[in-house]
Amino acid sequence: MDINNNIKIAKRTAVVAGTFCLFISLLLLLNFIQMKSADPLESEVLETLVQRLSMEPGNEQLKEEIRQFDLMARKAYFTSLWQVRTGGYLLLFAAVILVTSLRIYHSLISKIEKPEQDEEPDDFTARTLARRWILSGTAILIFLALLAAFTLTDPIEAYIASVEDTEEPESEVERIEITDAETRTEEPEEEEVVVVEEIAEHTTPEPVAEEPEVPSFPGESTIKENHNALRGPFGKGIVYHNDLPTEWNGESGQNILWKVPVPLHAFSSPVIWDNKLFITGADENQRKVFCFDRHTGDLLWEATADNIAGSPDTPPRTTPDTGLGAPSSTTDGNAVYSIFGTGDIIALDMEGNRIWAKNLGVPDNHYGHSSSLISHEEKLFVQYDDLNRGRIVCLNVLTGEIIWDITRDSGISWASPILAGVNGNYQLIVKGNPIVAGYDIETGRELWTVSAMAGEVGPSPAFGGGLVYAANEYAAMVAVNPVSGEVVWEDNYYLPEVSSPVYGNGYLFIATTYAVVACMDAETGEHHWEFDTEDIFYSSPVVAGNLLFVTDISGNTYIFETDSEPNLIAKNILGEQVYTTPAFAAGRIYIRGEENLYCIGN
Amino acid sequence: MKLIPLITVILLIYTAALPEDVLAQQRFPAPEFESGYELPDVVTPEPRALANEYADVFLLASFLLFTSWLVIKKRSRKWILWLSVFALLYFGFIRNGCICSVGSLQNMTLSLSDPVYAVSYTVIAFFMLPLIFSLAYGRVFCASACPLGVIQDLVIIRPAKVPLWVQKSLGMFPFVYLALAILYAATGTDFIICRYDPFVGIFRMGAEFHLVILGISFLLIGMFVGRPYCRFVCPYGALLKVTSLFSKRHLSITPAQCIKCRLCEDSCPFGAIEKPTPDKLVSKIKQRSGRFMLYAAVIPLLMLAFGLAFSSSHIFLARAHPDVYLAHLLINEPEVMQDTENLDVQTFLGSDRTMEELVDSAASIQATFRTGTWLAGAFIGLVAGLFIISQYIVRRRTVFEPNRGDCYSCGRCMEYCPVEK
Repeated sequence: MDINNNIKIAKRTAVVAGTFCLFISLLLLLNFIQMKSADPLESEVLETLVQRLSMEPGNEQLKEEIRQFDLMARKAYFTSLWQVRTGGYLLLFAAVILVTSLRIYHSLISKIEKPEQDEEPDDFTARTLARRWILSGTAILIFLALLAAFTLTDPIEAYIASVEDTEEPESEVERIEITDAETRTEEPEEEEVVVVEEIAEHTTPEPVAEEPEVPSFPGESTIKENHNALRGPFGKGIVYHNDLPTEWNGESGQNILWKVPVPLHAFSSPVIWDNKLFITGADENQRKVFCFDRHTGDLLWEATADNIAGSPDTPPRTTPDTGLGAPSSTTDGNAVYSIFGTGDIIALDMEGNRIWAKNLGVPDNHYGHSSSLISHEEKLFVQYDDLNRGRIVCLNVLTGEIIWDITRDSGISWASPILAGVNGNYQLIVKGNPIVAGYDIETGRELWTVSAMAGEVGPSPAFGGGLVYAANEYAAMVAVNPVSGEVVWEDNYYLPEVSSPVYGNGYLFIATTYAVVACMDAETGEHHWEFDTEDIFYSSPVVAGNLLFVTDISGNTYIFETDSEPNLIAKNILGEQVYTTPAFAAGRIYIRGEENLYCIGN
Repeated sequence: MKLIPLITVILLIYTAALPEDVLAQQRFPAPEFESGYELPDVVTPEPRALANEYADVFLLASFLLFTSWLVIKKRSRKWILWLSVFALLYFGFIRNGCICSVGSLQNMTLSLSDPVYAVSYTVIAFFMLPLIFSLAYGRVFCASACPLGVIQDLVIIRPAKVPLWVQKSLGMFPFVYLALAILYAATGTDFIICRYDPFVGIFRMGAEFHLVILGISFLLIGMFVGRPYCRFVCPYGALLKVTSLFSKRHLSITPAQCIKCRLCEDSCPFGAIEKPTPDKLVSKIKQRSGRFMLYAAVIPLLMLAFGLAFSSSHIFLARAHPDVYLAHLLINEPEVMQDTENLDVQTFLGSDRTMEELVDSAASIQATFRTGTWLAGAFIGLVAGLFIISQYIVRRRTVFEPNRGDCYSCGRCMEYCPVEK
């Protein structure tokens, strides 16, 4: 075989191998694109079907359809994967042939040639050019480094500085005289001021540190007559009024006794003591507490939570669906206590005068702090879980001083504490991630704990029939005996995301974010019924007598009988969105909508 | 030579016999079977047997020893070529490009900076052996034992001559890459040499798309520009370049006296052959000896400038560390915590670590980077200065010689020399 023939063979082999390489490369590229689009985890169709299933959890045909589609998508994906791998080997093989034939071809056609005179720059010019390019390269490197430096600030430094600035000044409890009337909307009567001054003149000149006058605290029966915290007395979602309206319409005005605009937006719920109704509002610039006459809707006073030692100059970043005013206030009839997303906590007397205020340290909470307050006698309980630690603080309602402060074995949460009467004593029941636990209200000692929650813990616990109930979406529903800490039953079929479960007359009710109200047997966890509603639930259900009131975010309130069958008594329209939980009083329901505050009554 | 097909068959059988589940990984969440089928437990492959590791070291040492003999004594380009093919098959396609001496410098760095991180004797051997051999015989490792170099060497079809000034200028980049690789390894941030290894995807028949494209691009360029990765990127090559300059015995183009026939002049696809020094060049360089002194005096300033510039960009560079990146992300964009598909964020939220701990860790890493970038910058400044003053250094050369730093000991030039022993 002569050399020309060999050259021809090598050339043709190279052409064939090169064409094959190009062809395989093209196929691989197309396959890669197809594989990306056929990724079962990214399948839009599958996602849509799964979403549909969440709306229709009992649809067996849909389940089968999803299974079939999932199987098909997986098969397609793995087939593509096999094709890519096989194609890769073919490409490698062809590339080896191509390179070999090209090398042979070039070795056959090349011959040793007589060296020619250099046409490129001489050695000295090359050195000069190299020096210039190295200098240019160094200048470019330095420029890039400086550019990188100036385009990026150090958020860590700023973060640490902001945390240090807002560290809780433990000893700095701000005490403000009751006569401070700056925050009141009503002008104090002149005579009262004179009396105070006169008393001051005639008292003993010695500067005796005055002990705050210890007021009497309401008993259980008085608390039950009021709605002193989120979800009513003791935060359990059970109210003790039987003459409540069951029909209203916010659009037509039917049974709407009054309706006033909310002065400042927030997601906190109303609380009531006697004739006064309290809500909070907050934005980037101000944090306020508002007191309304619950009979007329008149704004009695408003108080601003400002000038508080340790309060950050710039509020922490929160998301629009939580904000800085998500926690609800609590009241004991002597004062109203409110907390905001800045960590500012304030106690105001029933006339709006500041008693004390302090900052608990800015919570490191990516949505915003939302755990509501609850009190018992001289103790005010603050669930203060954030990204750094799980924490509960117990403050003295009279002075704001810390009675106890515990770190829990849990992470961030958005749930609120409740009080449960167990064996004649109150336990503070608190959820978190991953625990639900009972605490001795006197010392903060953990009495029992169950690890059953997960993810972002929003719903608060419930208590009734001697059991504590805790549930969270993507985790479980558990019923726990608060005496022994044993889990009595567990379920994961109906799980709420935001709205809290409630116990009522032997049943447990759950309102979900997939627009279902469910009823279970509180003692055994057996499923009784589910009811598809128009919209999802953020507001928590409340039980009054043998009725269950639950409001979806469109403002529709569903009233069911607390029964083993889904007996819907009424569905009432408010006409605006509702994220808060209503407050109840004798013959009245108070709902805070996104825009207005409503009083409903017959 | 007769053994070559036999050895090839053995290697291929060994490759095919590798259990597939060793390479398998769980791609999807496990489906929920209603039929009662239970998924088998995930089996973690056993670590590579110690004997196999020692076999790797033995093979590397053998390759280096044999190549040295072929380069210095036997002077056979053909044997070097076949040896390099075996190295590519074994260290590349069978061992999947790992362990490799190029990446081992990061393990060595991390072991020196982190007392908790220990390296095996195998890693130490892989790092040290090529350097030791280069001190004795030049870059014999690059010739036939490095799969990254060999795969590029084999695809050279028609190498173009890269202008000398381009080669000299770009030759600085491997030192910059070396400084960054050491910085990232020493801070425990990442092994960037491995992460951006363009050929490992080819050895393993699978990698991220951009890396496959990068690898193929290097090979396509390599058909016309000899060993682009080795010459202008490889950080381990930067080390070998330095040690090889001091090699005791190095490949020589001619086995006896050079007759200056110039036949070898264009034989090197890597532009590593030095011509006899023209008198004109020597006199011109001598005239500029003042500039040498000037640039030599400027080196400390260059080191300072680079140190300052790099240290000022330490925040930017530190963002490659997962803790720093996550802390920046969570501080700058707290809403990302709602993103359930962000695995980094969700993993952090599901862990026991608090934000405070994360921020503390990030702050500490950034502080380390501040010092590290000072050192890396000063090193780059020093290298830049040395590269500049090297342009004012000329060695009087009367024959054609390989540049000891740039020569990969591939032996091509030896084939062109008509002189016999």
